[in-house]
Amino acid sequence: MTLVGTSARRADGEDKVRGAARYGMDYLEHGTLVAKVLRSTVPAARITRLDCSKAASMPGVRAVATAADAPGLSGLMIVKDQSLFARDVIRYVGEPLAAVTADTAEQAEAALAAIDVSLDELEPVLDLEQALAQGTRLIHPDWESYETAMPGPREGNLAWETRVERGDVDTAFDTAHLVVEDEYRTQRQHQSPIEPHAAVARYEQGRYVVHTPTQFPHNVRGRIAELLGIRLSDVRVIVPTIGGGFGGKLDVMVEPFACVLARKTGRPVRILNSRSEEMTTCGPRENAIVRLRTAVASDGTILAQDGVVLADNGANSSGETVAVANVAPLVLGGTYRIPNARYASKVAYTNTTPTAAFRGVNGPYCVYAQEQHLDHIARELGMDRKELRMNNLIRRGESMVNGQQLDDAFLVEAMDKVDEIRPWQDAQAERRPFRGVAVVPLTWLTNPLPAAASVKLEEDGTATVTCAGAEIGTGAVTTGVLQIVAERLGLRLEDVRVSPTDTDTGGFDGGAQGSRTTYGMGNAALDAATKVRDQVLEVAAGMLEAAVDDLEIVDGSVRVSGVPDQQVAIPSVVGTAMFDSGPIGASGKFATPPIPFDSGCMAGAAVTSFPAALYQAHMTEVEVDPDTGRVTVLRYVVAQDVGRAINPQMIEGQIQGGVLQGIGYALFENLRLGDNGEVIDDNLESYRLPTAADAPPIEAAILENPCSYGPLGAKGAAEPPIIPVAAVIGCAVADAIGKPINELPLTPFAVLQAIKES
Amino acid sequence: MSYSFTLNGQPVEATAAGMTSLLSVLRDQSGLLGAKRGCGEGRCGACTVLVDGSPVDSCIYPVANAEGTAVRTVEGLASHDEPLTRIQDALLEHGGVQCGACIPGVVMTLTALLETESNTDDSTVRSSLTGNICRCTGYQKIIDAAQAAASSNGGPR
Repeated sequence: MTLVGTSARRADGEDKVRGAARYGMDYLEHGTLVAKVLRSTVPAARITRLDCSKAASMPGVRAVATAADAPGLSGLMIVKDQSLFARDVIRYVGEPLAAVTADTAEQAEAALAAIDVSLDELEPVLDLEQALAQGTRLIHPDWESYETAMPGPREGNLAWETRVERGDVDTAFDTAHLVVEDEYRTQRQHQSPIEPHAAVARYEQGRYVVHTPTQFPHNVRGRIAELLGIRLSDVRVIVPTIGGGFGGKLDVMVEPFACVLARKTGRPVRILNSRSEEMTTCGPRENAIVRLRTAVASDGTILAQDGVVLADNGANSSGETVAVANVAPLVLGGTYRIPNARYASKVAYTNTTPTAAFRGVNGPYCVYAQEQHLDHIARELGMDRKELRMNNLIRRGESMVNGQQLDDAFLVEAMDKVDEIRPWQDAQAERRPFRGVAVVPLTWLTNPLPAAASVKLEEDGTATVTCAGAEIGTGAVTTGVLQIVAERLGLRLEDVRVSPTDTDTGGFDGGAQGSRTTYGMGNAALDAATKVRDQVLEVAAGMLEAAVDDLEIVDGSVRVSGVPDQQVAIPSVVGTAMFDSGPIGASGKFATPPIPFDSGCMAGAAVTSFPAALYQAHMTEVEVDPDTGRVTVLRYVVAQDVGRAINPQMIEGQIQGGVLQGIGYALFENLRLGDNGEVIDDNLESYRLPTAADAPPIEAAILENPCSYGPLGAKGAAEPPIIPVAAVIGCAVADAIGKPINELPLTPFAVLQAIKES
Repeated sequence: MSYSFTLNGQPVEATAAGMTSLLSVLRDQSGLLGAKRGCGEGRCGACTVLVDGSPVDSCIYPVANAEGTAVRTVEGLASHDEPLTRIQDALLEHGGVQCGACIPGVVMTLTALLETESNTDDSTVRSSLTGNICRCTGYQKIIDAAQAAASSNGGPR
């Protein structure tokens, strides 16, 4: 069999192109009520009165919920500082105050308008640096009382900090040939999947049954339970087809409102975000400030780096910003040898919408900063920018800043591959005014969270995979994992199916995040399929009176190797097994093996290493219009190590899609906040997403550098293509205009201003 | 008010206020859930349907304007017991579908393009797609699919 490595069509594709796939936003139950949420219009206030009595008695209104209905405090894994509804204090524009369910949307809206709210407004804290300044009002005065999942530096408006320190940084700076220092500022970016958040909940037999298009069903289950103050097993999450997520659907968002209201009414309750609610209340990628100071030798060798990353948490830790704070130091110190390093990653509270995960968490702005900074160093030294990078690149067997040894480092190979497609020397030689070129290497991780899957054989000889892996759209669950299982079982791809994603039937799964589905779920499903294969061969060995070792499974039959006419079809093996050893089926599981690193060098780190590390290089050539400042990406080349390519066409699709999201971040996407900390860009006219006209030609080379513990050698593939994009475009634009720009996005206005200042 | 038009070849009469969006009528009255309400403001194109052969954003298209027209949705292209149309098939063959939420709209835009345009070079396909936002694919494979469907024998089905 050679299913793995082929560009098999996605198994859920026909329904999608026929318009027959039922998404979360399409899901309805009989007698479903409509829910709407009343949200704060001020960024900071004390609630002096919240009277819902009039609203509750309005026509069609079935229930109203407030803070009293959701007593728990929760947060994404680390700091438990979020309540479902504001209690006493409001901390951002858009914070939920109450929720109403009614027969119609109009009735629910009318009831929201009838809720009587009185507030004492407080001075909002909107600026990231001001939030951490001495004497600034505390957004969470009770911060010390919050439960945390682990110890870590935190105080006042500093929600969390992680620190990494290795070597003797101060001495390295004292004796360096050159010290370079820079500051970079980056914006919020919104995930903006086509499908908004949607959920339908019902309450039956003392449990909440929630249909929601989430990337991470087990997380949503746990977060609903924590916010409502109930056991997590009292929640069942079922996932319809998901209309995109990009990190935005990892966390609980609208589900708990539907749950509370379903319990109060005994009816199914549906909540569906408008695009405006989506933009203003669903956490975007955090805005950040990155400060880097680097000591280098005269030949460009990096001697030491001191870095501070300031990231905006928004009003609470409901998003992933705290949990992944330590990705910042690891990505800053994961691509180049930095023998002496001191990094602090600080996450600050502000009176703004909580920030959250977006593909490549922390990565895009750290890499943007690091690469502009390296270009600055190259300019100071009069050195070729690529040569500086190649000289400092981590080689096989060398270590990242956390002491993790990268035995399979493949950065040189990725850079060489890009150079083969578009030689650096040629690009330099062909330079013209207002054209720029850049190349950026990068080490990234595969999310290591565990996975479980089970595989059973049906009486007709087909196989069914059951798991809680969410099909976010990459094809990892509905195609990649099935290719792995079909290959192991010797079945045709169309004879392996996956049952719907359900936390009641599927074991724990770490979610469709950080490229982990093919890796984690692939491993768990491969484990289960291997056990099923063993069962098949054992039963067939008895039927064929042959030794297990002499058997092979080909085209749905077990046969004695080299004796094709001595064979039994799988359905008859399943039938024989049924009354002999029992139905054929097995559970599989996977946990990432421990990654050795220097635990003594870090504090506050929830992410401590780069498991199943992967390597890539991105190269681009851009043109800047000197009259308008508009940047055109002329050419884009990616070389990416995926370990083993299970489905090359799908990987290419991830690279093309990730790069275009990165181009949006680099050039125009910017979720701006107004004077009250409110989201200005609450629609897709002012928040512009990349269109077909913005997509440059992208050449992608897939490199296979197997991971010893990945399924058939596979590592993550889908997340990383977004990460180096802003960096490489930023460097190329600076090259084109002969001047760095230390802030994203690189809009025509920003670029034109930079040109005019020079 | 009542408005008459044909929907995927069948005569229908929709009773709704004239400014009700065609999308609401399709989803809430006709039970056709293929077209998606991605943004509800005429920006993303996931709700694209054809009115007399031209793509429109049905989320901001008043049902009154559909009076006397022929409306086609993704469900009208190939029924479940029929093979996929060329563009539907090409989208799968070329890996142009990921989450797929934009795809019902993309399929309709490209169906109209292939029915009306003989020139399907890269820039023609790109400009026809600028009203359809796809957040997943980066568009390249969708464009590849459109060009392959256009060049396959006999044009679109």
